Amino acid sequence: MAVIIGIVLVAFVAGVFGSMLGVGGGIIMVPVLSLAFGVPIKTAIATSIVCVIATSSMAQSSFAARGMTNMRLGMFLEVATTVGALAGGITAVLVDGRVLQVCFAVLLFYVAWQMSRRRGDVVPAEGPVMPSVYYDPAGGREVRYGVHALGLGFVLSLAAGNVSGLLGVGGGAFKVPIMNLLMGVPLKATIATSNLMIGVTAATSAAIFYGRGYVDPQWAVPAALGILAGARLGPRLAIRLSARVLVVVFEVVLGVFGVLMLLRALGVGV
Amino acid sequence: MDAIERMVSRVLGAGIAIAVVFMLAGVVLGIASGEALPDHVVAFGSLASGLSELDPAAYLSLGLLVLVATPFVRVTGSIAAFALERERRYVLLTAVVLVVMCAGVLLGKA
Repeated sequence: MAVIIGIVLVAFVAGVFGSMLGVGGGIIMVPVLSLAFGVPIKTAIATSIVCVIATSSMAQSSFAARGMTNMRLGMFLEVATTVGALAGGITAVLVDGRVLQVCFAVLLFYVAWQMSRRRGDVVPAEGPVMPSVYYDPAGGREVRYGVHALGLGFVLSLAAGNVSGLLGVGGGAFKVPIMNLLMGVPLKATIATSNLMIGVTAATSAAIFYGRGYVDPQWAVPAALGILAGARLGPRLAIRLSARVLVVVFEVVLGVFGVLMLLRALGVGV
Repeated sequence: MDAIERMVSRVLGAGIAIAVVFMLAGVVLGIASGEALPDHVVAFGSLASGLSELDPAAYLSLGLLVLVATPFVRVTGSIAAFALERERRYVLLTAVVLVVMCAGVLLGKA
């Protein structure tokens, strides 16, 4: 019973941050489940994938109702992400896993630094490509924007999908900076769209894991329930908070991800 | 687009609510039976019989399955949304995503 309550609480926190930032929270659930609760690694991964879906769907019911999700952009980049993930096997043969982990960690620190340098959100620029508009309650105004650098975003999403499949990290940590920093999508629309994409990417693996019997209800159910509760709160915070605060939280979380990834590269069992 | 997106968000909300009801029912049944939560899911074919026998594992499994199905519903709903808007390019793009999702599931089974 104590174990179940513990999982629900951890999942709640992961659900709040994962949905608030559009990064899913799987990278937190896997080490917690396997190190703190002694869950076998495959079961831990299957549980975390169910958690990513729970985060995504719950968050979507808030963000889509607000018109913040850019469905066109999400589906466009989803094609790149999936193709990239399918090609993951090729990269696995070519590059050593540890080298990849270190590169990934360095990239995370670089992205966090880039975001902190700008101190805030992109200035939304209207454009003809995938134009969208949503009401931002924090700024008290409508935000109109178009998507920029579509080609570059597509290529980088290919790369992100490729490595994230290999490292078992939901690509959210990279989707957010790609859309926000490079494609000029305002942070809240970025977070909403990333939340959509991580669920779509995770759904396929979750169905496969379920079919193979890796989804274990004694872990997955308490985790999913905790995540759902957290992911009800997270989007509300994201919608109300100012983009400047969200950027700071995002940087901290990226830093934590980076440290976790370095530890993994050094062979500490996370 | 907005009205349809709102509808999709309501469908998602309903799906999650159904998943939560089944999972909670499974937890309550599990606690009532005095045993630990089951450590395996019930295969798709034996779900119905498990549900009628009030097997906690069947309720937990169905809740998880409904949850896993929500992104598929989400993408399908968006195809319909783009079709109603007559945005052929995005109907095609979103259909590609759905096909890849389903192909992944079928390939993973093999």
